[in-house]
Amino acid sequence: MTAPFLQIRGIRKDYGKVTAVQDVSLEIRRGEFLTFLGPSGSGKSTTLYILAGFQDPTAGDILLEGRSLLSTPSHLRQIGMVFQRYTLFPHLTVAENIGFPLKVRRKSRAEIDAKVKQMLELVRLEGFEDRRPSEMSGGQQQRVALARALSYDPPVLLMDEPLSALDKKLREEIQHEIRRIHQETEVTILYVTHDQEEALRMSDRIAVFSKGVIDQVGTGSELYAEPATRFVAEFIGDSDFLSCAVVASNGQSADIRLGDDWLVEGVPLHARGGGRNEGALLLRPERVQLHRNQPAATGALPVRVDDLTFLGSNVHVATTTGWGEPVAIRLPFGHDAIDGLSRGDTVWLGFDPRTAHVFC
Amino acid sequence: MLLHFERLGSWKWVLVGITALTTAFLLLPILFIAALSFGSSQWLIFPPPSWTLRWYREFFADPRWIEAAWTSFKIAALVTVFSVGIGLCASFALVRGRFKGREALKALFLTPMILPVVVLAVALYAFFLRLGLNGTVTGFVIAHLVVALPFSILAITNALEGFDKSIEDAAVLCGASPLEAKFRVTLPAIGHGLFSAAIFSFLTSWDEVVLAIFMASPTLQTLPVRIWTTLRQDLTPVIASASTLLVLFTILLMMLVALVRKGFKS
Repeated sequence: MTAPFLQIRGIRKDYGKVTAVQDVSLEIRRGEFLTFLGPSGSGKSTTLYILAGFQDPTAGDILLEGRSLLSTPSHLRQIGMVFQRYTLFPHLTVAENIGFPLKVRRKSRAEIDAKVKQMLELVRLEGFEDRRPSEMSGGQQQRVALARALSYDPPVLLMDEPLSALDKKLREEIQHEIRRIHQETEVTILYVTHDQEEALRMSDRIAVFSKGVIDQVGTGSELYAEPATRFVAEFIGDSDFLSCAVVASNGQSADIRLGDDWLVEGVPLHARGGGRNEGALLLRPERVQLHRNQPAATGALPVRVDDLTFLGSNVHVATTTGWGEPVAIRLPFGHDAIDGLSRGDTVWLGFDPRTAHVFC
Repeated sequence: MLLHFERLGSWKWVLVGITALTTAFLLLPILFIAALSFGSSQWLIFPPPSWTLRWYREFFADPRWIEAAWTSFKIAALVTVFSVGIGLCASFALVRGRFKGREALKALFLTPMILPVVVLAVALYAFFLRLGLNGTVTGFVIAHLVVALPFSILAITNALEGFDKSIEDAAVLCGASPLEAKFRVTLPAIGHGLFSAAIFSFLTSWDEVVLAIFMASPTLQTLPVRIWTTLRQDLTPVIASASTLLVLFTILLMMLVALVRKGFKS
């Protein structure tokens, strides 16, 4: 087996006494679109800046095709980057901006012109050659920045929240563009965002950052269906947590008690040390079943309906347990269980233990 | 706007009057000296009995005046070069640097703006006596640099603070070395600041008189010093023409500034 394309090995970054990145290790395949997802201050941008060479790690190494990048200064790393802020060179035209990396590489005039033309086609901005950055919208500027970062065919493209300054509609449009450009160029992309929807929409895999470490790496559906930590469960998708008591566990799964007397057996368990018997049960809104009457065979939890919200294809039912914890349920429009349901009604919640998770 | 100029009614004319008076107050002395420079009277009589270009001919015929003007220009040009160069380096340290006492250092750099110039002049004079720099171009340039640098630093730090460092980082990732990125991207982007710094430095030196009087020697005089010393010896209208030329050159420079500023904006 050959060495992975890009390897991040045990990266750590301290600022004085503060540790921004604790121990980040990751392997990225050639041509992969991998997103660093996490809240601000989780270390995702720091990791990206270490890759770019703007910061040196306190410990660890970065290998591109088996060779360490750390001793190579930024301008020789051949890495492309699109920044959060607009970074087009204000005194140059669009064509000069895109041609800049080739110009500093002393390419011929003809070669630069051909590449600029090709790049403008790639980002669909033909005819904008002679514009100045100040004459363009934010979305157009970021597309030019993308063209500039790709003009020298870098093996790796870093993107640091490039769309965070744009409005939602434009953001979604450019997300599609980036996805298409990724497929056309087959460049390896490392993308930083705090927007889970953006991460889910674009990435092959997502690395979820929390407090300087990667909690979990996986595809969007893996993270959603099998979250490794409570943080991941909360960060990806909608979730409800119910406090429960862990009655018995074998390390892999647990038997839990919900409320006073409902015993649920065989719920997948994610324990972080300690033998605490207080746990949190994760329920996804679309996995929760709603019964109008107490089911006879299986166990169920009585809850009170607080609110019903019609959202087109979905109906959200907001409920509260007897001990005051909220649970949201999402049902398709027209589902039998909602027919005639109104506020204040008592309904029973059920779920398949195998699709739930307990964190403790 | 609550106070709309068009809706002020007759109050409008009061404002117009005040503006006119202020303008007159600022401009009249200059117009007065310009008028005198074209007047035929030996004794600077106003209004001039008749008009002549004689004083300008005398100005250009007298090598001492021409030499003084040339000295002024030479010193101002040197001050401009050093002021922008040093100001640029200092500004990078003040804006990009992360060290203790940065704010204090910036304040210190700006003190010559508020320090009485005559105090500075006496101090420099005493200091230069030891070094033998009085009456030399070097002495002049250093003295003027002290008062020009604050303007330069102010203009360049302002421009640099308004420049997003990420743009320079982007240039570096594009393959430009850190130095190349500064020359190809950062400096052109803060060009308006550098230009302002250059103009202010030049003008500061060009019409500076207090320091210049201390630094001057009988053989090395700037134009303002020459005007000053001539004024004390005899009251020839050549002074008026020299002053008019001095003002004219300054006005031309300011017009150039306006033109270039417009260019930077578009």
